[in-house]
Amino acid sequence: MSDFPDPDEEYELMYADDLELLQEEDDHIEANVVKKKPIQAKRSLDFSSPAPKHLSESRVTDNTPSSSNTNVAPINNTQISFSQSLQPVEELLTPATSNKRTAEDLFGDIGDIDFDNVEMPTKKQKTEEENDLDLINKILESRRLRQLLLEPSRAQAEAKPLFDTKDNISLNIPRWPFMPLTNSDGDRVYVRLESETSWEQSLDAAAEQPSLQSMYAKTWEEARKILEKKQEEEMLRQSQEALPNIASDINGNSLWVEKYRPHSYLDLLSEEPVNRALLHWLHLWDKIVFKKEVKTTEPQQRNSFSKRTGQFQLTNKWKGKKEFGPEMDEDGRPHHKVALLCGPPGVGKTTLAHLLARIAGYRPVELNASDERSTDAFRNALQSATLMRSVIDAEKRPNCLILDEIDGAPLPTVELLVKWCTATGTEGKKKAKTQPLKRPVIAICNDLYATSLRPLRPVALIIHVGGVSLQRLSSRLARVCECEGLTVMPHVLAALAARVQGDVRSAIHVLSFIKARAKAQLNMEDVENTSVGTKDCSKSMMQALTAIFTTNDKDENAIMKTVQAAGEYDRLVDGIFENYLQARVDSRLLIACETLSWLRLHDTIHAWTMRTQNYSLYGMLPQCVVRCHRLLASRNPQRVKFPMQAQEAYRKKTELDSIVWSVWRYSAPSVALARRALQLDVIPLLPYLLAPTASVQLYRESERKALRTCAEAMCDYALQYTQQRTPEGLYAFVLEPDIYKVAFFENQERMRPPPPVRQAIAREQQLEMIKRSEEMANRVSNPNKPDTRSKATDSKEGTVGKEGSAKEAKETRLPNHLQRLKPKEVEKTTPQVHKDFFGRIVPLSQMQRSDAVPDVISSSSVFYQYREGFNNAVRRNVRTRDML
Amino acid sequence: MSLWVDKHRPRDLMKLDFHKDQAARLKSLVQQSDFPHLLIYGPSGAGKKTRIMCLLRELYGSGVERLRQETMNFTTPSNKKIEIMTVSSNYHIEVNPTDVGIHDRVVIMDLVKNVAQTHQIDSSGQREFKVVILNEVDDLTKDAQHALRRTMEKYVATCRLILIANSISRVIPAIRSRCLTIRVPAPTENEIASILHLVCKKEGLSLPSELAMRIAKCSDRNLRRALLMCEACKVQQYPFTADQKVPEPDWQQFIRETASMILSEQSPKKLGEVRQKLYELIIHGVPPDMVFAGLLKELVRNCDMAMKCQVASHAAMYEHRMRLGNKPIFHLEAFVAKFMAIYKKFMEESLGDAF
Repeated sequence: MSDFPDPDEEYELMYADDLELLQEEDDHIEANVVKKKPIQAKRSLDFSSPAPKHLSESRVTDNTPSSSNTNVAPINNTQISFSQSLQPVEELLTPATSNKRTAEDLFGDIGDIDFDNVEMPTKKQKTEEENDLDLINKILESRRLRQLLLEPSRAQAEAKPLFDTKDNISLNIPRWPFMPLTNSDGDRVYVRLESETSWEQSLDAAAEQPSLQSMYAKTWEEARKILEKKQEEEMLRQSQEALPNIASDINGNSLWVEKYRPHSYLDLLSEEPVNRALLHWLHLWDKIVFKKEVKTTEPQQRNSFSKRTGQFQLTNKWKGKKEFGPEMDEDGRPHHKVALLCGPPGVGKTTLAHLLARIAGYRPVELNASDERSTDAFRNALQSATLMRSVIDAEKRPNCLILDEIDGAPLPTVELLVKWCTATGTEGKKKAKTQPLKRPVIAICNDLYATSLRPLRPVALIIHVGGVSLQRLSSRLARVCECEGLTVMPHVLAALAARVQGDVRSAIHVLSFIKARAKAQLNMEDVENTSVGTKDCSKSMMQALTAIFTTNDKDENAIMKTVQAAGEYDRLVDGIFENYLQARVDSRLLIACETLSWLRLHDTIHAWTMRTQNYSLYGMLPQCVVRCHRLLASRNPQRVKFPMQAQEAYRKKTELDSIVWSVWRYSAPSVALARRALQLDVIPLLPYLLAPTASVQLYRESERKALRTCAEAMCDYALQYTQQRTPEGLYAFVLEPDIYKVAFFENQERMRPPPPVRQAIAREQQLEMIKRSEEMANRVSNPNKPDTRSKATDSKEGTVGKEGSAKEAKETRLPNHLQRLKPKEVEKTTPQVHKDFFGRIVPLSQMQRSDAVPDVISSSSVFYQYREGFNNAVRRNVRTRDML
Repeated sequence: MSLWVDKHRPRDLMKLDFHKDQAARLKSLVQQSDFPHLLIYGPSGAGKKTRIMCLLRELYGSGVERLRQETMNFTTPSNKKIEIMTVSSNYHIEVNPTDVGIHDRVVIMDLVKNVAQTHQIDSSGQREFKVVILNEVDDLTKDAQHALRRTMEKYVATCRLILIANSISRVIPAIRSRCLTIRVPAPTENEIASILHLVCKKEGLSLPSELAMRIAKCSDRNLRRALLMCEACKVQQYPFTADQKVPEPDWQQFIRETASMILSEQSPKKLGEVRQKLYELIIHGVPPDMVFAGLLKELVRNCDMAMKCQVASHAAMYEHRMRLGNKPIFHLEAFVAKFMAIYKKFMEESLGDAF
């Protein structure tokens, strides 16, 4: 093929972009090659399938024989093959040996082209040259078809347009509007002229056409069945010959999983680097176990090795050669005492551990979830496995402990293991009981990040065992089938391998299940329809979210499954909400509006479902998500962020709510308000009210009043300045609860009074609080006795309705709570709390004696404020003289 | 009791400053010593609560002003313990059932039952009934409202309910028909200004009438806000000047900023920025319906008549949907996006016409 300008290459050059996209799918479609074959074969005689793009160019620049583009070929061809393209193939088949030779001369090896299917030029009136040209075209065409057979996806892309050559090109002067075209031979062709709009329409129509696969789904299905039947028969014939040879194998009763367990290193299906890493680690134990020097592989070798694999899965080691040293510790044991294999179920972790342990010369001792795993039992097992050796075993191999399913073990057990592993020899001498670990321990888990494994992770060599690759799995399955006499098509096996997602065990189980149903072969239907072997296909939220924002060309309906598998629609919707603005959103915001309308619908349905506990509409929720996918999906990959905003907002909201709540909860009953009013009206304005302009040292009367008002308001709303230590070691007065956070949006430092004012307010407030508590105490202790304190408040409270109630009180013996006290001149006996220097309350009698100082605290020049562990409360310099 | 809004609150029905004829009617209502359940509704800061307290005082005397705060505990059918704070005197109890969210039905049933089943100990010279004041009745769940309607009838002999709501549109008709509904409209700006003057006079301050009018205008006809703003003005600067800055709640300003952001540019990027602002508003506890109202008010200023109608109807629809749902941010952003789309189209069309 090399000597001819390869049409494939040209094709690829021209449509590199499209191909790139298609190439991605090829892997997935490869499996279906066989079933798509027949339909391609059918189409091979139809010359009416150029792509719409090419159509436009081919209409104008038709007739360029030099261009060997396959897409133009049909049109060059039209002159000769119009009439015959409709006739049945069989009639047209003529032996064309003479042509074949010329063709061979021209194209070299054309054995790849099936000449039986290619119609040969039959018209005798054509010139020789035309015939040659014709033949060239035929060959190109057939090559193209062959290419299509190999890569059906390309065919799909090409097959969309439905441009009918017969209708649009004519040899005679047609009745529709046309443009005459003449080729070098003077042949005239009339190409239909179409108006711009109709062209647009046809393009639209083409775009809306469902994919070829869905159009011809039925036909394809039939064709596939026919082909499979044929192949079945063939296979059946073959297998009947082969069966007797392996009949003995079938009689075996053991599980296939056991039967086909790998028995040698080469049989292992897991990735090569994984196997090597574990084996290497096992060999590191050789020094202490077998008393022989450890062969350390050459750095170069390892280096190239890791380069080759590209993705080396070991996190702990082998990243650089510098770390090679600490692979062994001073006792000659490996640095990591435990190897931790992790990976999804069924990929062969246990098998790997057992096999490698055996290869390395150990006797594997397994301890799994079915054994008791309490701390004691575990210690026994550990001791017996690592300190003793089997006597019965003829080979006298040392033990290698394999702890299967360790992620299910209780935390103390794992801790014990870690302690056991980390115990060094020197420690062991002190405590006779704990000897250093001298045998390798391999732990196996599914979930590396299980909480119980947390202590183990840092000390263990972590080896990730990934899923088995499709090719290796399907080839292995093929071998199993071969041994079992099961006839299975390769593509069926590939589908099965894809379905189990790297789980060897379940794949083999499916095979044995099919076999048990006494079927000698496995069809595509079995794989597709049977529920056997379907794994729990849960998807994480993020996977689903990524899927929502990317177009899935393979399967339009896959998104529904993904979304349903992920669940958590609520989070998913949050994710869409947070990411959709970065996705495909037009500048006119129409897509945004549409997306939001679906999100809103989701929200409404969800709320309704939750409120009524009626789940009849629950099924609609994923539909909403899928609609969003239709709107937002795009081809260019997008980094999807995990939805955090809603959570973050909720967290902040609860924080602020708790501030509001505490203000509301502890505010005085007389000012109690609805919470909403408090939050919207009072708190936003409180900071302005609590920032009196006052100079500290020299109060004017008005300033003093302002301070007093401020302090009272703070008492009413249960606000308080408390001293808090700042990071710089200074003490600052901080408002508690911090209503500034609630009141202001951006600059929360606004309107805060300067520190001296805060201090003044704090002091004033303390006085006020003392006053109030005194009042309360008096009210409680002797409620009947008219006392001055409560009167003070009454005079404040009852400015309006005093007189009437006072009269009432006289009239009858009213209940206590109705009693109103007579107003008295309050000003003289302002609320006083008499305290001595240390804050102790001076008894009343004593106080009355020393009438000279009515209010000790407010009038004294000394004010002592006690603070635990901190004493700068004495604010003024006081001389002893003053105290006396 | 130090803030003006509390200090100068009228305590007698006859001393109320506005809606005086309504006050007179209320007085005559209680003078007959019995009255039906009341449903008092009106916008925030119109004086609903003040009127109720005056009414109670008229009914029971000054004893109702001796308030105490208590927390009451209830157990839901699902065995969840809930706690609610009540403010009560010997004659009445006031509670805000919406504080406990969806469990408000339990509170209503148990609380009203508790109160109603205990008769007054000393009924001589007292009313036969106690009063239960329920706040924010329009935010009660439907369940709670239905629970209420039976309770109202059953215990009518021993307790009277006074329901407070902002709007009766969300109160079920069954409750509406069982109550005497009294609307307390917001005071007009002039009334607010005159009240401000009155209060300043009581405080011994002189208030320029321009400033009073400005405060009244800023306050959204909310008397509580007006008084607080007036006092804040005083704290900031005294003596008053006519053109001094009137502090107003920050969230109002924030909504205005958000609206101007929306008008400045219509693009997905801007929408993202607006979302942060909306989140901020929600975080600060501004109810989403007020955000809707505030945004709409600012946005329609820049629209012509046809567009005004369109935007308003969209806002109404989106707000309605929001009440059905759980996540106000979706609906708020949807409204903003819709407005941006409409506005952008409008701008492009008008620009296109210009050329």
